[in-house]
Amino acid sequence: MPATAVDTVPSLKGKVPDDEWEARVELAAFYRLVAKHKWDDLVGTHISARVPGHPDQFLINPYGLLFDEITASSLVKVDMDGNVLQDSAYPVNAAGFTIHSSVLKGRDDVMSVAHTHTVPGMALSAVEGTLRPVHQKALRFYNALSYHAYEGIADDPDECARLQRDLGSNDAMVLENHGLLTCGRNIRSTWALLYNLEKCCSVQIALEASGGEVIELSDDLKESTYRQFQRTLNSNASFGSKLDGWESSLRLLAKEDPSFMH
Amino acid sequence: MSVTAMSVPTQPDVREKVSAQEWQTRVDLAALYRLVAMEGMTDLAGTHISARVPGTEDHFLLNPFGLMFEEVTASNLVKVDLNGEKVMESPFPVNPAGFTIHSAVHMARPDVQCIAHTHTAAGMAFASVETEVLPISQTAGYFYKRIGYHAWEGISTNLDERERIVQDLGDHRGLIMHNHGLLVAGPTIPAAWVMIYQLERICRTQLEAMAAARAMGQDVVLMPEEVAMKTAANFDQSFKNAAEGRSNFDWEAYLRALDETDDSYRH
Repeated sequence: MPATAVDTVPSLKGKVPDDEWEARVELAAFYRLVAKHKWDDLVGTHISARVPGHPDQFLINPYGLLFDEITASSLVKVDMDGNVLQDSAYPVNAAGFTIHSSVLKGRDDVMSVAHTHTVPGMALSAVEGTLRPVHQKALRFYNALSYHAYEGIADDPDECARLQRDLGSNDAMVLENHGLLTCGRNIRSTWALLYNLEKCCSVQIALEASGGEVIELSDDLKESTYRQFQRTLNSNASFGSKLDGWESSLRLLAKEDPSFMH
Repeated sequence: MSVTAMSVPTQPDVREKVSAQEWQTRVDLAALYRLVAMEGMTDLAGTHISARVPGTEDHFLLNPFGLMFEEVTASNLVKVDLNGEKVMESPFPVNPAGFTIHSAVHMARPDVQCIAHTHTAAGMAFASVETEVLPISQTAGYFYKRIGYHAWEGISTNLDERERIVQDLGDHRGLIMHNHGLLVAGPTIPAAWVMIYQLERICRTQLEAMAAARAMGQDVVLMPEEVAMKTAANFDQSFKNAAEGRSNFDWEAYLRALDETDDSYRH
């Protein structure tokens, strides 16, 4: 049998600090979950996480590996200037670096950034108009979803400022004619945001296409629901985080294929 | 998370602590959680499927909060009362939010053993459009004129809403919960499975039919009313058979499908 990507990458467990190792395991799990949901795009798109204790460093995918091949040890550590800080047989993708470093540089509160090119995400991003606040899930993003105009493959460092400006203080953004982006205060919340935003796109595409009249909600209900989401997520960490099923998802991944923890 | 959180939580083994009927209900309900997961109808660790404990009016089994449906087992289901309070020791918490909807239905409808609620994309889309289940397919007959519609009142279901939920459900077998999702109320666990599976397909089918018809400048084609009513009456009989113990909707077939890949729900 040919050697797999997993076999050829030496384990960093015990060679990096424990908190970095845990961030690597969680981030690798995130890649695997995205693959499992078929939200990946060959070797494209990226998910990143800041290195705990090193706000100027982050982990990103080894470019050239499929998401379901990515492991804790193969994730590449880079600084905000794009310098690779570890031995890696794989490069870091320049466009991915631009988008992710822009968000991480602009937002101290953000620990993780995810970006996808899913069909519902791209479709929604190509339609004039915004995510409609017409169901419970969409209200998580009520008046809190950013939009960024497409400028071509993100290889222009000047786009950095515009990405930061458009994102503002929100934790989710539609990259118009391109895809979706979420950013959270930790890896698991970034995953939950992405999951919910992806689902919102699927909902909206289906309901708009149907041509049916949409059941609108009152502004009061929209605002109070948005505030309720914020309260739940901010005030009660155990409740807010349990809804994401994160530990459970990681155990299920480990049962199926524990190689992400390598 | 820490790497230690990767260990499987301590699983209680309640088989010897509950009645044989309750154990069977637990196995079947855990299987239903797995089937819903297998069909991709979950919402991370959110939403509930609940079942009444046989021989009781006010004890229910509910998912342990924080676990994905793929980790639900017969033993880790949590037994709660109408308020979502635990009535049997369990190391797992429950998520009381949303259970109010279930308890309202369980209280009002003693004929209902199992309630399933989902937040699928098709279900949420369907529920956010001014429409009804239209008689456009045989499958629609499962719910044609057999489903209620309930306006959304916000996330924290206050106790007043119970009355309106019960009123909107009436004697139907499910609810389109506007701007929110789907709910079915089955006389048995296998019946609830068939209901939630078919209601999901009904929503997808109708949304696609509406989209195609719209693109073609046509209307969707409704079957004649008497044919629609006859079809619905046939399905009424299927659910009556289930309620009276003459049918289990080939439940063993679904259990076999689960057992082939993972029979851990049985523990």
